[in-house]
Amino acid sequence: MKWPKPVSRTPRLGRASLSEKAAQRLTITLLLAPAILVILLLFMGGLITGFLRSLGYFPLIGLNDFNFEAYTTVFTDNGFIRSFILTFHIAFTSTLIASILAVASAMLLRPAFRGKRFVQFIFSLNLTIPHLVGAVGVLYLFSGSGLVSRLATGAGLIDSPQGFPAMVNDPWAIGIIIQYVWKEIPFIGVIVLAILLSVGEDYESVARSLGANRWQAFRNVTLPLIMPGVVSASVIVFAFTFGAFEIPWLLGSTFPKALPVLAFESYTDVDLAARPQAMAMAMVIAVMSSLMILAYMKVSRRYVRS
Amino acid sequence: MTQVTLSALTKQFDEKSPPAVDRLDLEIESGKLTALLGPSGCGKTTTMKMIAGLLRPTSGDIGFNGESILSIPPEDRGAVMVFQNYLLFPYMTIAENIGFGLKMRKVDRKEIRTRVTDMLDLVQLPGFEDRKPRQLSGGQQQRIALARALIVQPNVLLLDEPLSNLDAHLRDEMRELIRRIQTEMEITTVFVTHDQEEAVVLADRIALLFDGQLQQFDVPDAFFESPESIEIAKFFGGTNFIPGHYEGGEITTAIGRFRAPRSAVEGGDAVLSIRPEAVTLGAAEGNSVMGRIRSHVYVGRYARFRITLGEIEVEAITDPAQVKLFNDGDEVPVTFDPAKIWVIRPASSEQ
Ligand SMILES: Nc1ncnc2c1ncn2[C@@H]1O[C@H](COP(=O)(O)OP(=O)(O)OP(=O)(O)O)[C@@H](O)[C@H]1O
Ligand SMILES: [Mg+2]
Repeated sequence: MKWPKPVSRTPRLGRASLSEKAAQRLTITLLLAPAILVILLLFMGGLITGFLRSLGYFPLIGLNDFNFEAYTTVFTDNGFIRSFILTFHIAFTSTLIASILAVASAMLLRPAFRGKRFVQFIFSLNLTIPHLVGAVGVLYLFSGSGLVSRLATGAGLIDSPQGFPAMVNDPWAIGIIIQYVWKEIPFIGVIVLAILLSVGEDYESVARSLGANRWQAFRNVTLPLIMPGVVSASVIVFAFTFGAFEIPWLLGSTFPKALPVLAFESYTDVDLAARPQAMAMAMVIAVMSSLMILAYMKVSRRYVRS
Repeated sequence: MTQVTLSALTKQFDEKSPPAVDRLDLEIESGKLTALLGPSGCGKTTTMKMIAGLLRPTSGDIGFNGESILSIPPEDRGAVMVFQNYLLFPYMTIAENIGFGLKMRKVDRKEIRTRVTDMLDLVQLPGFEDRKPRQLSGGQQQRIALARALIVQPNVLLLDEPLSNLDAHLRDEMRELIRRIQTEMEITTVFVTHDQEEAVVLADRIALLFDGQLQQFDVPDAFFESPESIEIAKFFGGTNFIPGHYEGGEITTAIGRFRAPRSAVEGGDAVLSIRPEAVTLGAAEGNSVMGRIRSHVYVGRYARFRITLGEIEVEAITDPAQVKLFNDGDEVPVTFDPAKIWVIRPASSEQ
C-alpha cells in the first residue's frame, strides 16, 4: 500500500465538450430505447404483476387487500424449505460439475491435433439438442428399467434391475443433475475454449519458464485468465438450472419437488387461493437466484485474485 | 555456470514451409553473453523457446553442460525466458508478478517481499509494488519482466529483445544493468536482437541467423573485419563489394589490382570488400585508383561520399572536414588500405 492510487486510470479521450457528451449519451439511450422498453414491459411488468399477486392482490378473483399471508404460508411450510434446499443442490451441483468438466474439456480441445474440427463439432453437438430430448435420454438410460440398469444386470454387476440404484425420480436428483451436466458442458466449454484460444499459451509459457509446473501454471495463470468467462457462463447455467421447470418435472422425485415444479403446481391448482402462494414462490425463486448469483460472482472474483 | 550446446537443432512448424530453425549448431559459452542476431522472422524467438523448453524441437539436441535436457520440463531447466512482448500477468500486481517465480518455489512470503523490493530498486522502479501492469508504460513493463526473470537467479537467461521499447537513454542504462548483473552473477545469457549495434555493444559473441540458418558465430569485431559472406557484411553496414580474381595475396578487379593479404578464400573468383570507413580520399600511396566524386552528404559526425571508379561506385565515410576539400565532380585518388580489405567468396557460390 505504499503507492498512492492513481487519480485517473482512463486516459482523457479527446476534448469533447459537456453538451457534446450529453448529446452522445442521449443518442445511445434513444438507440437502446426499443430494447429497454421490451425488457421493461415483459420482464419488469411480469415481475411487478407477480409481486402484487403474491401479496394477495388479484382484483379479477375478488382479492383486493395486500397481505403477507402467502409468504408466511410458504416460509413456514416444511415442504417449501426442503424444495428450496433440493433446488439449490440441483443448481449448485450441476453448475459446479459442468464448469469443472467444461474447463477440462476446453483444455483438452485447445492444442492443435488431427481431427480437431470433428471432435469440436461432436463436442458442441448437443448444444442443439433440446433439454427435453436430453431428459428422455436420461430416462431411457438411467431409469430402473433403463439401458444401463439392464446392461449392469446382464454383466452380473447387480442381481436384477430392481437392485439398480435410483437415479431417476430419486431424492438426490441424480438424473436431473446428469441431464444438466450433459447439456451445459458444451455451453460453458465452447465459451472457455474461445477464451483459451484468444489468450494463447504464452502466459503459461512464461509461468513454466519461471518455474511453475503444469498444475501451478494452470492454477495461477490459466485459471485466473479464463475465470471471468467461466463465471459469466456458469452464472447463466446456475440461474437456468435454478429456475427451470421441465427437467425436474420429468426426472424429479415426488417429494421434495424442485421449487419451479412446486410453484407451477400451486399455480395450476384448482384452488384459486393457492395462486398468491405460487406467486410468492416465484418471487422467492427470483430473489434467491439473484442473491446467489451476486454471492457467487463475489466469491469467484476473490478466488481469482488470491 | 551452464554451457549450452545446440546440435543440429531444427524446428519445422509445418511440412509445407521451410524450417523456422534449420540445423543450428551453437556452443554458448558458460557465463558469457551471446547475442542471437538476425532479421525479423529468422527464427530467434523459436530458438529461445526451444532452449527454454517451451517448444519441442523437430530434431536435433540441446545440452546443458554436455547433457541433453530435451526430456527435462521447462520449470526444471533453470533457463528463464523474458518474452518480446513482456507478458506480465494482467490480474496480478507488479509485486506479485516479480515474486511469481519465488512463490512457485514456495519461498517464504517475507523473503519474497524483500527480494521484490530489491529487484524494483535494481530496475529503477522503486515503489511500484501495488500497481497493475496496465498502469505501466511499455518500457516500465519491460523492466518488470526483466526483474521477474532475474529474481529467480536463473542459470541461463534468455532475453527476447528486452530493450526494444526503451528510449535511447534508458536503453543504455538497461544495457549496462544487464551487462553488470550478467557478469556479477555469471549467468549464461542469450540475448535476441535485430539491431546489430546492440549486439556489438553488449555481446561477447554474436550468432547471426538468416532464415533459420546460422551464418556466422564469432566475436563482434569479426563481423566487421572478416565477415564470411557478402550478406553478412551487408547486414553489418558493409557497402563496397568489387568482384575480381584473387591470387597470391592480390585481387585483380575491373578497376585495378589491389594488395589484399586478408582473405576468406584461397584463390580464384572472389570479391573485394572494404568498409566505407576504410576508404580514404586524397592520399595516393599504392592500392589506390582515380575516381570521380559523384555526390556527398555532410552528416555532422562524419561525411559520406559516393565515388565512381569506372563502372563501379563505392562509398567512403570520412572525416567531416573533408567536405571542404572536395567538390562533386572532382577527380580524386581513392585508397583502399590493404589491412582493411577483406576478400570474400562471391555471392553465387553462396547459394
Ligand atoms: N507457432 C508457430 N506456428 C507456425 N509458424 C511459426 C510459429 N511461430 C513462429 N513461426 C514462424 O517461424 C519463423 C520464425 O519465427 P520467430 O518468431 O522465431 O522469428 P524471430 O526471429 O523471433 O522474429 P522477430 O524478430 O520478428 O521476433 C517465422 O517465419 C514464423 O512465421
Ligand atoms: Mg521474435
